[in-house]
Amino acid sequence: MKVVELLERRRKNWQELERYCARSSLGSLNTSELSRFSALYRAACADLALSNSYQLPENTVQYLHNIVGRAHNQLYRSKRLDFAAWSKMLLEDVPQRIFNDRCVQLMFCLFWGFFILSAWLAYSKTTWPDYAEQMMKAEMIEQMESSFKNPIDGSGRDGDMNLIMAAFYIRHNTGIGLQCFVWGLLVVPGLYVTIRNALLLGAAFGYMARPDVPEGANFFHFVTAHGPFELTAIVLSAGAGLRLGLAWIMPGQLTRGASLQQTGTEMMPVMCAAMIMFGLAAFIEGFLSPSAAPYWIKAAVAIISSAALAFYFIVLGFPRSLLGATR
Amino acid sequence: MAQRREQIDSIIRVVTPENIAFEYRLAGPFRRLPALLVDFAIMGTGLIVFMIVLMMTLAIVSFGLTIAIFLIMSFVVQWFYMGLFEVYMNGQTPGKRLTGLRVLTTEGQPINGMQSIMRNLFRGADLFPMMPLIGPVVMTLNDRSQRLGDLVAGTIVVVEQNSWLTGVAKLEDHRAIQLAGYLPPNFVVSRQLARALATYVERRRFFSPLRRREVAKHLGEPLLQQFGLPADTSYDLLLCSLYYRTFIADRHQDEQRLAEAKAAAVQNNPFQQVGNNLFQIQVKMPPLPQEQMVGIPVDEVAKLKM
Repeated sequence: MKVVELLERRRKNWQELERYCARSSLGSLNTSELSRFSALYRAACADLALSNSYQLPENTVQYLHNIVGRAHNQLYRSKRLDFAAWSKMLLEDVPQRIFNDRCVQLMFCLFWGFFILSAWLAYSKTTWPDYAEQMMKAEMIEQMESSFKNPIDGSGRDGDMNLIMAAFYIRHNTGIGLQCFVWGLLVVPGLYVTIRNALLLGAAFGYMARPDVPEGANFFHFVTAHGPFELTAIVLSAGAGLRLGLAWIMPGQLTRGASLQQTGTEMMPVMCAAMIMFGLAAFIEGFLSPSAAPYWIKAAVAIISSAALAFYFIVLGFPRSLLGATR
Repeated sequence: MAQRREQIDSIIRVVTPENIAFEYRLAGPFRRLPALLVDFAIMGTGLIVFMIVLMMTLAIVSFGLTIAIFLIMSFVVQWFYMGLFEVYMNGQTPGKRLTGLRVLTTEGQPINGMQSIMRNLFRGADLFPMMPLIGPVVMTLNDRSQRLGDLVAGTIVVVEQNSWLTGVAKLEDHRAIQLAGYLPPNFVVSRQLARALATYVERRRFFSPLRRREVAKHLGEPLLQQFGLPADTSYDLLLCSLYYRTFIADRHQDEQRLAEAKAAAVQNNPFQQVGNNLFQIQVKMPPLPQEQMVGIPVDEVAKLKM
């Protein structure tokens, strides 16, 4: 059979397949159309496979490659987000992974180490007298003092403002968390962002804890409730980021690419857990923290959330294999 | 499976469940930049339009809710716009659809939701403010044009062309068909030769006559000798006629020609005398098609020979 004849015979099929591909989604096809589509696709596959022995011209082969590729992409579509699998991952895999992850542990130590160091330096007036001023700059201190001048009694805020602030915290804090995570891939920037955040937060806490700063009481009144979730989430995202960075620096027995890929898949749920924590923290920070609720309620929320975190990381995270081994 | 990684022509081969390998062209940085810019433009205008709509509807009821929704929306758009589109549009964002790109896994399979979200989160690292070129540099350093996000998620971006079925090339010059009659009917075109012919004829319309001659010479010269045709036959026409023979002409037409040629050979046998005297052939055969720039005057050739 001559090529012209063959092309004439197949042209209709290919163009029909093309029309199916052009439809943006296959969801709109009914059953018979779908089976027609797959039949056409297989026929085009066969034509491509035989193109060499048919002696098809190069342009036609190119066309076949394209049409088969397009049909393949329509037939084998991307998978939607599988929420059931995600919840299982979040409740079982993530805590266990975090429990054993040296990077998260290291980041935990780094973050809290720098936080406490910075807080102590800012608090003490003798060791490094103007540390707080150097660290935070005068205008930031002023801003902090002015925003915590009045006792936290909910008078400065109405419902609208709470909503806005909750949304703002979600956006801002989760953004910082994602930054810690993503920049962790480049290691140095990730460490820098994390340590810088630890130093700044530490300095703010230390400065506010000074007995001669009258706004301090209000400050702690404000931050207690949402602190546990927020700070844990930052540590988590920074740890996951560092794990990613180490994945390509120390790939072990895998190639760098494969190691990075594998770690990425493992760390995404961790980041997801961190984002949920950021979201919870933002709602507490938006609604409870600035409210007139007495301090003991806020402290109770802090304690409950810390307990929840401990439950999540330690009880859910304790390796099942270890439990099995001791029995 | 992705194979043929040793190639540098940015083509990646995918084997489908139907057990057939087809090829994709990888999209490099310059193909992907327009898609990115389009997406950024859509993100920006989309947010502004969303804000205006919110202001005109919801803001009358509750101003705080409006701002809150907008803030969360801008957060979602900033970090997840591309990822979500790639999940639900089968590996494409609006910009990618416009420019004909698609994201696949390195194995050529469709990506899953996590991969698409992940590869787009890491845009933050690719466009890291202190080293904004780290993404493009990484892209040029690996052989599949992957940026950092692609490396983490194990994805590639391919060009999904919407190419047209061209069929066989039309030969506008009837002399080519005429010349096909003079080709030895039993000459079998090998696959490689067929490929070369197709590639040449599909592209020759972009060349000037001189350039055609230059390109076709390498194949035309030995073929002319092999066929015993006059040396001043246009190489371009020879290849066209071979193309016609290979792809267009019918088999039984060939057989007809073979019979005709045999009959003619009995009468004056033009092909046997080729080696002896060029001038004689020219007399016996009807004038073969030739190009003005190309043709060498026959009597001069004859003089040289003598």
